[in-house]
Amino acid sequence: MKAPQVIVSAGGGGVGKTTTSAALALALARSGKRALVVSVDPARRLADALGVAVGGQVKPLSLDTGDGELFGLMPDPRTSMRAFVELLFAEEPEALARLLDNALYQVLEDAVPGIHELVSMALTTEAVRNLEIEVVVVDTAPSRYAIDFIHYPGRLAKLLGGRAVGWLAKLAQRGNTQKKGRPNRVERMLAKVMGSVVYDVAGLFAELALVRKRFVALTAQTSRLLLGPMSQYVVVTAPSAAAQADAEYWIKQLSALDLRPTAVLLNRALSPEYPFAKVLRSAPETTGSMHQVLNSLDEECRVREDATDRAVEVLSKRYPHVSQVALPYIESSDPREIVEALCGKLDGHLDALTA
Amino acid sequence: MSPTETADRSLTPLSPAVFVTGKGGVGKTTVAAGLAIAAVQSGQGAVFVEFGDGDSGERAFGKLPKNLKHVVLDPQQAILTAAAPLFGSATLAKLALGNFAMRPLIQSAPAIREIAVLEMVRRVVEEHPRRRVVIDMPATGHSVAWLRVAQQGRDLTKRGPIHDLCARVHRELIHPERSSVVVVTLPQPLVMNETIKLCGAIEREVGLRVDRLVVNHVPAMPPPDALSDALRVADELGVVATAAGELGALLTKRAATALAVDKALSQAAGERTATLTRLPLSPADPTARQVARWLTERGAA
Repeated sequence: MKAPQVIVSAGGGGVGKTTTSAALALALARSGKRALVVSVDPARRLADALGVAVGGQVKPLSLDTGDGELFGLMPDPRTSMRAFVELLFAEEPEALARLLDNALYQVLEDAVPGIHELVSMALTTEAVRNLEIEVVVVDTAPSRYAIDFIHYPGRLAKLLGGRAVGWLAKLAQRGNTQKKGRPNRVERMLAKVMGSVVYDVAGLFAELALVRKRFVALTAQTSRLLLGPMSQYVVVTAPSAAAQADAEYWIKQLSALDLRPTAVLLNRALSPEYPFAKVLRSAPETTGSMHQVLNSLDEECRVREDATDRAVEVLSKRYPHVSQVALPYIESSDPREIVEALCGKLDGHLDALTA
Repeated sequence: MSPTETADRSLTPLSPAVFVTGKGGVGKTTVAAGLAIAAVQSGQGAVFVEFGDGDSGERAFGKLPKNLKHVVLDPQQAILTAAAPLFGSATLAKLALGNFAMRPLIQSAPAIREIAVLEMVRRVVEEHPRRRVVIDMPATGHSVAWLRVAQQGRDLTKRGPIHDLCARVHRELIHPERSSVVVVTLPQPLVMNETIKLCGAIEREVGLRVDRLVVNHVPAMPPPDALSDALRVADELGVVATAAGELGALLTKRAATALAVDKALSQAAGERTATLTRLPLSPADPTARQVARWLTERGAA
């Protein structure tokens, strides 16, 4: 299998990250590639943005993609944990049954950060292999916690590989069998504070230790996909103070991890042209109210341009090595229309974005 | 129906603790800061609580007004502080939590971090009985998980000190009489759909009431006769008429979107006796003081 190109898009909330990711993937497909767009954003907006069904299994999307092909994947975070443990425990049915019965597992079932991403990446790896995907666009969650998505699996794998698990397994056994033996001071303290749940906690990790090999293989796969030589990061932002703060946070975090972003996509940065405005301005038929509307359209454009200029200036000064792509503001209540318009704009930047 | 705001002074007053949430990028932090400043201005005093590095509060307030406290909760520190009384002392807590098996476990188990932070919020509320405590929550999705964790912890542990801690947080903080939820949104169809889902999840899964629905950045309506004028000119022939037709189409499109969003949000607010408060779109990002003034004028503070 030839390693695919992977483009991870990161950024704050409300900047149009999902829409931009969808547009980028569509542009790549239209350039003749076999592309896959994956959204791990729990907001699950990918289907809305593209206006076609996208679900928890990799499926070709019914869109006009010219010479290439576009596949989509948007797993449901609420079923991710279950999918994940079924994948992990495929060869350990008894341990799986015990795990599903674990009180703590039942609480964590829809709440573990990182697992959703891990499952999504496992499905992505599989699709890359089976469907000969050439390029993957990953739309991440907007939260600053999303950076966990890179660290977390490795941390968990390390935990399962360490001597902590043996200690926890012993503790779990004590809880199950009331076996004699002298609990040490820390154990006694934990049991006193946490009550019986400490055995559930220990049990959960003891079961996970059984499938450590598979777990490590999965996390290694994810790391290869996200951190390999064919992976790159783009940061999506918009011209507002908060969005810019988020963008800078991401650029710094990613650079600290040696994943310096290749580009910043400045969404909603360029104003639309209103050709009618010029005609109406000099026409005697134009009424006072119409003039007022024209003035406020001008004002909107001016405000947007000022904000964009400020953002461009700050980003160029602080991060001169990160290239910038300014995208237009598309006024539409139809998300599909916005994706199409952005796709057209991104088409001219594909070389820079996939360099 | 015109989306211009009429001040309604008979709104449900906010509870002592106010959780402010919404999708990322809607101006949540500025609204939270505005609610805190409004409480200071009314003489009540306020505490602004944020999770993380303290960046957003600093950006929102600039110089901190008198009677306004800015509390930054660091999750790691919160775990140690919240656990200290359970273990008898901070030293014992450090010993148990620093245990080679427990340390990575705690770092991997999300619920522990979240319950510890909520316990710290509970203490902040307890320590400031006369002040309004405004909590700037993480974005959608995450916030429901945060708020649900006390109840889950309580039910999971059945008894013991952790159970008691979770039960107390749930009883004293995550309770409709103790806390209000303010959801911030934007007048855009996709954001609005997410907001309506979030309101449902907070009520169903957390059991808290959404008291305020704040629509941020609502653009001013064009002059009422602009559209009819444009359509009249468009009836003629020639380039001017074509241009007027295009202006008319733009105005019609904008009005339709604005109306649909406003209708859906009004209905969502009506279903849960939440107040719908619209804040105007302003050229620059509004300051927290500006937002405080708007909220006070609309009786929503």
